[in-house]
Amino acid sequence: MNGMKCIICCTMASSSMEVDNVLSEQKVLPPKPKFEPLKPHEMPGAAVQFRKVSVPPHRYTPLKKVWMDIYTPVFEQMKIDIRMNLKGRKVELKTRHDTPDISNLQKCADFVHAFMLGFDVIDAIAILRLDELYVESFEIKDVKTLRGDHLSRAIGRLSGKGGKTKFTIENASKTRIVIADTKIHILGSFANIKIARDSLCYLIMGSPAGKVYSKLRAVTSRMAERF
Amino acid sequence: MANTNDAGVEALRRLQQIDPPSLLAPNPSVSETARSASQYLFTTLRPFSPKSPLDELLVDGYDAEQIWHQIDLQSQPLLSTLRRRLNQFVKNPEEIAQFKVPLDVGKKLEKKKRVELEEEESDDFDEELDDDDDDFEGVEKKKAKGGSEGEDDFEEEDDEDEEGSEDEDDEEDEKEKVKGGGIEDKFLKIDELTEYLEKEEDNYEKGEERDEADEDSEEDDELEKAGEFEMDDEDDDDDDEEDEEAEDMGNVRYEDFFGGKNEKGSKRKDQLLEVSGDEDDMESTKQKKRTASTYEKQREKIQSKIVLMEKANIEPKTWTMQGEVTASKRPINSAFEVDLDFEHNVRPTPVITEEVTASIEEMIQKKIVEGLFNDVQRAPKLPSKAPREVKQLDDNKSGQGLADLYEQEYVQKTDPTSAPLSFKDELKNEASTLFKKICLKLDALSHFNFAPKPVIEDMSFQTNVPALAMEEIAPVAVSDAAMLAPEEVFDGKGDVKEEAELTQAERKRRRANKKRKFKAEAVNKLEKKARLEKKADNAISCQVDG
Repeated sequence: MNGMKCIICCTMASSSMEVDNVLSEQKVLPPKPKFEPLKPHEMPGAAVQFRKVSVPPHRYTPLKKVWMDIYTPVFEQMKIDIRMNLKGRKVELKTRHDTPDISNLQKCADFVHAFMLGFDVIDAIAILRLDELYVESFEIKDVKTLRGDHLSRAIGRLSGKGGKTKFTIENASKTRIVIADTKIHILGSFANIKIARDSLCYLIMGSPAGKVYSKLRAVTSRMAERF
Repeated sequence: MANTNDAGVEALRRLQQIDPPSLLAPNPSVSETARSASQYLFTTLRPFSPKSPLDELLVDGYDAEQIWHQIDLQSQPLLSTLRRRLNQFVKNPEEIAQFKVPLDVGKKLEKKKRVELEEEESDDFDEELDDDDDDFEGVEKKKAKGGSEGEDDFEEEDDEDEEGSEDEDDEEDEKEKVKGGGIEDKFLKIDELTEYLEKEEDNYEKGEERDEADEDSEEDDELEKAGEFEMDDEDDDDDDEEDEEAEDMGNVRYEDFFGGKNEKGSKRKDQLLEVSGDEDDMESTKQKKRTASTYEKQREKIQSKIVLMEKANIEPKTWTMQGEVTASKRPINSAFEVDLDFEHNVRPTPVITEEVTASIEEMIQKKIVEGLFNDVQRAPKLPSKAPREVKQLDDNKSGQGLADLYEQEYVQKTDPTSAPLSFKDELKNEASTLFKKICLKLDALSHFNFAPKPVIEDMSFQTNVPALAMEEIAPVAVSDAAMLAPEEVFDGKGDVKEEAELTQAERKRRRANKKRKFKAEAVNKLEKKARLEKKADNAISCQVDG
């Protein structure tokens, strides 16, 4: 919205300029108005906006543990009201009158949602700080239909011994991965998500970890060389 | 014939009388005389050259060149035989003595036989001496018989000589030894000859019928005669013919022995046999058929060979000569019999013998002793470019949160100098820190020079750091050795000797000094004691007094 405003301003400015040139002798127009971005409560829609994130039962206790870590940045830096609805097992977010940007609410919602998916707070905090971080989720059956033992083995391959493989992929691709039974969530920037997703898909489809490592190595070195 | 003879002789005489210069100019009369003379000579020599194709010299309308060629045709073989005969005479001069004047014609037969025997022997000799001059053999024989060089007189003389010798031999039937003595040589032994002839006689009787069929042989066969020990073919008819011929001609000629051109001659061998055994028996039993001469025999052989070869050429070739032959085209198992030659692309397997094994073992032992093992060494790979830094994959859970990670990345992008230490750099730093610490300690141990404390770059917050950090100049470690003055280090004078270095006298002196000192001290002590006691006494006495 702000961008669009700017464009309009620009065009208006240019036209006014032309007009100015033409009618230089006739009139002096007032200076171009400068509008500040609209605050959420000034927006034509509802003044206060809500978001509700449901809490899965396995994240209830961790949420209780790290609640303050979640609450503090949301409330103080993002200027979004946050509360936990215990009965409904939901985290509710609300804009305040001094919320600077409407996107803050969405970011906070994403942040809380990421935590609910299983990511750590310190990792999920990155969503608040960076714009372009996304969470991608997919299931193992999306990649390859596996049943029973094969599925278990695939999950084992993904994690590796003590989570080694997962950490390797995380470190190499600068992402965070959560493997929840058959669901896989990846948090990171768009390109990095792609790298991580490809590596995970290879693992699901049966490549040994060593092969995936070599591929990772090649890709990351190429990425690093680019800068 | 007598007329021509006379004419010829006359022509010769006339030629002799012509003086040589007049011969240079062409003169038809002279040429005429010359032609007639040469004709006469030709005809006289004709009997001695049976092989010449011309019966008489053709002079009418012939060129000088052609006449000369005709004469040459006749004379060439004659000359060669005469030469040979001469050589033989040179070698065996005693043979010349055997040529005697002919006595009578009645004994022609025996003489002939003798002559033939002689000739045979001599011819055998000739043959042994000669090379393969088969064509001229007949002529040779003739010449041997004649022994002349194309002159009638000489021929006659030789004939006479021969016949004379024959007469002598006739008288002595078994004088072959004498003859043999003259003719015999290292090659020819009469005894061996007789043995062989006896053997062949038996063969002859078997082959008599066979040979009778071959009476009409070629001219060449007739020429190949005596000297061939293989053939014993004779005909009684020929014998008789020969007798007649001998009687007809005054001189012994070729035809006497070998008959006319259409008749077979007798074997000289047979004459030998006759000489050795009963002549009469020989005459009756053996037929003096025209046996084939050496040349004829050889020709026969060659002819048979030719026939065989022609037959082979006409027939289809053997399968080995046919080029590409499949198994169906050749007889079964025929490849076994033929030694086929084809390229082996495989090296033949080495036959393991004891020597081979021994050689291999010897080589192995030698190599072990020398330590010369030809191990394959990897060829050094040339360093093409600097090894790329391989990114290490860290499989531990990262300590930083995702936000920090991206922050770092952003900072790296914007400010390249503030690049965070890579894993390798951290290790390096750790290693360098440890080393510096160790170096400090080692320096403190080994040097007394001051070395400042190493700067360990460590980015960390230290709260209680003083504002100033003064360097201490005082050395870290100090030893007394530097502090003491020399006299403090060593207190003594003179030449200080070790206990072991001391001599007996010096030891005694030392002991004496010690005793003196001890004594002096002891005396001092006593004096002190005495004084103290005195004082005490005085004191006591005073007290007592007071």
